[in-house]
Amino acid sequence: MALFAIENLTFTYPGSITPALVGINLDVNDGEFLVLCGQSGCGKSTLLRHLKGALTPHGARNGSISFKNVPLDEVSFRAQTSAIGYVLQNPENQIVTDKVWHELAFGLESLGYENAIIRLRVAEMASFFGIQDWYHKSVYELSGGQKQLLNLASVMTLQPDVLILDEPTSQLDPIAAADFLATIHKINNEIGTTIILSEHRLEEVLPGASRVIVMNQGQIACEGSPAHIGHELKRTDDPMLYAMPTPMRTYLALEDNVESVCPVTVRDGRDYLQKYQPAVSVESAIPVQPATSMKAGIPQTTTSTGEPISTLKHGICDASDCHDVYAEHESLNRGDIHDGYDCSDSRDIYAEHDRSDSRDIYAEHDRFGGNDSRDISEHAERGSSDDMHNGHDRRQSHDSPIVTLKNIWFRYEKNASDILRGLHLTVYRGEMYCIVGGNGTGKTTALGVLSGLYRPYRGKAQMLGVDITKSKIASLPQGSIAVLPQDPQTLFTRNTIKEDLMDMTKSKERIDDIAELTEITDLLEMHPYDVSGGEQQRAALAKVLLTEPKLLLMDEPTKGMDSFFKRKLAEILRNLRANGMTVILVSHDLEFCAMYADRCALFFDGSIVTENVPREFFSGNSFYTTAANRMSRHIFEDAITVEDVIEKCQTII
Amino acid sequence: MRDTFSSCNPIVNFIYFTCVLVITMCVKHPVILGISFASAMIYSIYLNGMKAIKFNIFFLLPLMLIAAIINPAFNHEGMTILTYIRDNPITYESIYYGIAAAVMIGSVILWFSCYNAIMTSDKFIYLFGKMIPALSLVISMALRFIPRYKIQIKRITNAQRGIGRDISAGNLIGRIKSGVSILSIMITWALENGVDTADAMRARGYGLKGRTSYSNFRFDVRDWTLTVVLMVLFIMVVIAIRAHFISIVYFPAFVMNDFDGIVFILYAAYAALCLLPLLLDIREDIVWRSLRLKI
Repeated sequence: MALFAIENLTFTYPGSITPALVGINLDVNDGEFLVLCGQSGCGKSTLLRHLKGALTPHGARNGSISFKNVPLDEVSFRAQTSAIGYVLQNPENQIVTDKVWHELAFGLESLGYENAIIRLRVAEMASFFGIQDWYHKSVYELSGGQKQLLNLASVMTLQPDVLILDEPTSQLDPIAAADFLATIHKINNEIGTTIILSEHRLEEVLPGASRVIVMNQGQIACEGSPAHIGHELKRTDDPMLYAMPTPMRTYLALEDNVESVCPVTVRDGRDYLQKYQPAVSVESAIPVQPATSMKAGIPQTTTSTGEPISTLKHGICDASDCHDVYAEHESLNRGDIHDGYDCSDSRDIYAEHDRSDSRDIYAEHDRFGGNDSRDISEHAERGSSDDMHNGHDRRQSHDSPIVTLKNIWFRYEKNASDILRGLHLTVYRGEMYCIVGGNGTGKTTALGVLSGLYRPYRGKAQMLGVDITKSKIASLPQGSIAVLPQDPQTLFTRNTIKEDLMDMTKSKERIDDIAELTEITDLLEMHPYDVSGGEQQRAALAKVLLTEPKLLLMDEPTKGMDSFFKRKLAEILRNLRANGMTVILVSHDLEFCAMYADRCALFFDGSIVTENVPREFFSGNSFYTTAANRMSRHIFEDAITVEDVIEKCQTII
Repeated sequence: MRDTFSSCNPIVNFIYFTCVLVITMCVKHPVILGISFASAMIYSIYLNGMKAIKFNIFFLLPLMLIAAIINPAFNHEGMTILTYIRDNPITYESIYYGIAAAVMIGSVILWFSCYNAIMTSDKFIYLFGKMIPALSLVISMALRFIPRYKIQIKRITNAQRGIGRDISAGNLIGRIKSGVSILSIMITWALENGVDTADAMRARGYGLKGRTSYSNFRFDVRDWTLTVVLMVLFIMVVIAIRAHFISIVYFPAFVMNDFDGIVFILYAAYAALCLLPLLLDIREDIVWRSLRLKI
């Protein structure tokens, strides 16, 4: 039975010329799990809002929507309230009352149920969702994941036939998001509620979905089962292909048979990769240079343009580990086809190239940066393409640590427990240093210490050569450290983005330059709250960059971003680091860190457990690693991104 | 501290506090006030622990001393003159009265500190939701948003510090300016997010006719029993006062009722009323101990 039948729906927002939805035809069947995906601004939310009368936006509308064979406008508000459940994007904003139990009861109160019935329904839902432990809590005590789960539960108390969710996990960390999506699957499987979900975290969602719909510029670009949608995307060369799960992208890059079933989960991906298994011996034959061949001194490599480039790279710093020196350059030749930053497709290749040559030379370095004697290995043969990458200039000054934290201890209150426990951290000029780790391990607190917001009660912190535990952070040159907070909205205090930028500098040219760099020139006259999440992130970045920081600290910069904006962000950061800026970022986004970081560190229990270049870092972890690495583990030695896996497979063929 | 009385229905809590406060505030009888003060003191320490002891010593005691001194200094009624200060008579009666007034103020403050510990926001909302359902939702929403706004202001301040715009630094005018700009963006932020909240409310049927007000509280047998006991004790004391079994006159001369068997029972009734929550706790302790012994 068709639950929803949408026929030829076209919708235009008031004051807009281009329609937000164009000729949408869609049937949603009972019990389906429908995933709606597409770039930000493609009309996903607009379409979803049309499925619930109370949320339908104002504007010019053509076409029809019917619910259970009755036109949606004729279904009463009361019937729609209980039959169509809707969960919005932001977990905070949807919560109305101050207590968990009251929030659960809210919808039932609206429908006018008796106390006894509400008690039963609330009890059922609290048990189903495992809320009973925090049933009496105030909502502000809850974590983001718990809040969104509460929103879901409070909609489910109404016992809806269909549950509509508009990017429900975009504000959540990966663990909470996975929990939330697992709950959605459970609702679909165990209760049979129809699910319509828009999502950009496709890795976790697709395996359980029954149908995928890809939208592009207000239209349905293609639809199909998760196992077949990929072929369609590949055929039309849809940019959404890059947002698909790792196993799918790998498979699609290697196979051309459009009828075949595409692997969606990591397990299926592993099964598929088994056919490349015999080649393992070839891969493990990569020569490992013994430590004895290292020679002291900073290596100088002369490029084809004749300019010396210092190619020192800091690897892992534990004395026992530093003797393993990998010298790989199998992908250097791919860099030749790269000729700039403008071509979006070449970016992957660029990233790949950047990583592979940064692996060339590892240098042992004292973890605290205090010891200057280093063993350095130089790989004699360098790719001829170095000169094409001005981004590598940053390595010239790599030997000077810009941040040195030694044995930092911090807690918020005297009687509270320690958040940072003996944190050691050294970051070098021009580096992109990514801190990953679970929630509540102290990552954000560490950023707070780095930015001078919190003062450690024990330990030494050298920032840009100034000891901030002795003198105040204010003694640093104005704006030398800038923080991009997790919520970009908190940076704006004016009515237009332009005014906000003008707060930072008087120079019109500087604003124009920065606006161009962050690609917000068209948005300057808009209110910062009126632009999309990704655009807000870029406007916030523009404001932060106007302080001309030498050190940029970023807290979850990719949160809520789709894969297109992530590429854009990486590109912007690359340009900035080419000019000598250092970036430390805290992220849950392992794929992003694997692609673009110089070094990654795992934060746990208030300090850094391990740090290394991404390839070593992620191939050294078994669980806390990228999907590509999990998929290719024991098949390929150290593939950490989709591109790595594809390339390794191709070399075998 | 785990308190049995606070697990009773809020209506019972509310009746109890109304009874003891009415008697404490309307009767200036020394014994009644003494019972009231002692019970309130014990109960507040029982509920709030160390915090209550500190509060009682450093805030309540000085306040009561001042109250006790002020009365004889300004009130010169009464016939037993103790001494003269600058031609003004200081009388025994006004000293007694001052002490009684101080004890009354102290008791009322202590009762309110107990009230605060027991009548949490959701109990308050429940009580007033019964009378005005719309108000209970408004209060609940306000309690949701106040902490949220506080957190957001803190976040904005921190974010501004992170880009070198420290709100707490600089001269007064600069600080006022940045404060105002934060306030203005807070209003925008609140309205912006309010749109989402309104959507979420409508999505869950807010605005439909016949909205009910749910609560977790039930009125069970224990609540009925306690209500009856409370009312009986309260009426006993009220009648005793009306019938002048318990009486006090301070001016012109200090005259108190005689002490006999009936009066003793009436005092005991008032003490039982005041100590009811503690009696419940003691009973609970005994029950638990005997349960443990049986195991």
